[in-house]
Amino acid sequence: MVRLITHNLLACHVKGCTTNNFPLVFQDVQVELQEAEFNPDFIRNMLSRLEWTALVNAAKQVGDTSLPLEQPDMMDDELLQKLHHALMEIHVIEGAMVCQNCKHVYPISNGIPNMLLAEHEIG
Amino acid sequence: MKPVKSVTVVDDPQIHEDQYVHAVYDQIASHFSSTRYKPWPIIAKFLSDLPTGWIGLDSGAGNGKYLPLPADRPGCILTIGLDRSRNLLQIAQHAGSEPGRLITREVVWGDVLGSGWRSGVFDYAISIATIHHLASHGRRKLAVQRLLQAVSPVHGRVLIYVWAIEQDELSKRSIPTSDTDGSNPHPTGEDVFVPWVMSRQHKQDTPVVPTLVAETPVYNRYYHMFANGELKQLAVQAAEEFGLVIGPRGSVYDEGCRGIEIVQEGWERSNYYVELRRWVS
Repeated sequence: MVRLITHNLLACHVKGCTTNNFPLVFQDVQVELQEAEFNPDFIRNMLSRLEWTALVNAAKQVGDTSLPLEQPDMMDDELLQKLHHALMEIHVIEGAMVCQNCKHVYPISNGIPNMLLAEHEIG
Repeated sequence: MKPVKSVTVVDDPQIHEDQYVHAVYDQIASHFSSTRYKPWPIIAKFLSDLPTGWIGLDSGAGNGKYLPLPADRPGCILTIGLDRSRNLLQIAQHAGSEPGRLITREVVWGDVLGSGWRSGVFDYAISIATIHHLASHGRRKLAVQRLLQAVSPVHGRVLIYVWAIEQDELSKRSIPTSDTDGSNPHPTGEDVFVPWVMSRQHKQDTPVVPTLVAETPVYNRYYHMFANGELKQLAVQAAEEFGLVIGPRGSVYDEGCRGIEIVQEGWERSNYYVELRRWVS
């Protein structure tokens, strides 16, 4: 599935595409909500791996505007809940992710993103 | 005993893998998955020891049997599964689900030689029974480098398993013999076809590349069976060419020097494994 946690790790890997290749931009997405068990320790500890601005923008693209633009210093329970929802409960089922730099389109179908490249695109 | 045949890779390695690995797994996905459910102990322990909040990559996740782990602390780490077979990914997507309780896993359709991730973003990476399907030394080395590249330069941990020429006594397979006594300083392993015999209830309508034997499709899967010492040598070579010092983290290095420690290596149940840990001095 493509949840925002995965989206925040993915980058375009077309040959020669090495700048501005993250984050990929969601396009024409269908979203499904699935409840997941809240694990505040996981969210708190994992957060330093993520790019905050990319996460906030990706959340907007899938219809979630609950996150503050700037990453707050204090992680209170309310914010952890919002992060949990944005990262773990929103599933992009159909659509695509597009590289802002080279415009390569990575399709998402049945919840599975296709990161395969054609032979001439492999670096 | 299932026969294992020696084979020489004459095609372009990628074309060879397309025919004898990717196409085969897409055909046998459901039957294969029904035979792969028990996690191997060293891998389960590796995942069980990781701190809460760590994020990892399972490169060649197959049916996703490692995605739900650790069993005693589910949800404390997140493993994202990558595989080349879309049919296996559809199974991996719901690995560990129980009747009435559907759990969705993070899975990505991709190649282990790709690098569609921010560099160093993962805390750990595992690659279990995958790299032995790559049909040249150079491609196997690149696969190891992709794992090193995916994990944190500061603390990233990597665990790799590949099939060994040295099979245990319980193995159902007989292996063609060659120079495999371990005395060779440059062990090269053995390229083989391992037949997958499709059981009737899993037979599909439109098989590709099967040899019909008494109406039961048999699919030849390509493996590079590793010789004793070959996996460690591959990991060392991959790391060195990636610019990493080999050895434990120590004070003898200049500040900012990047390296990799071989934490453990060995043989378990017909497989060789190696665990690596990245460090910066």
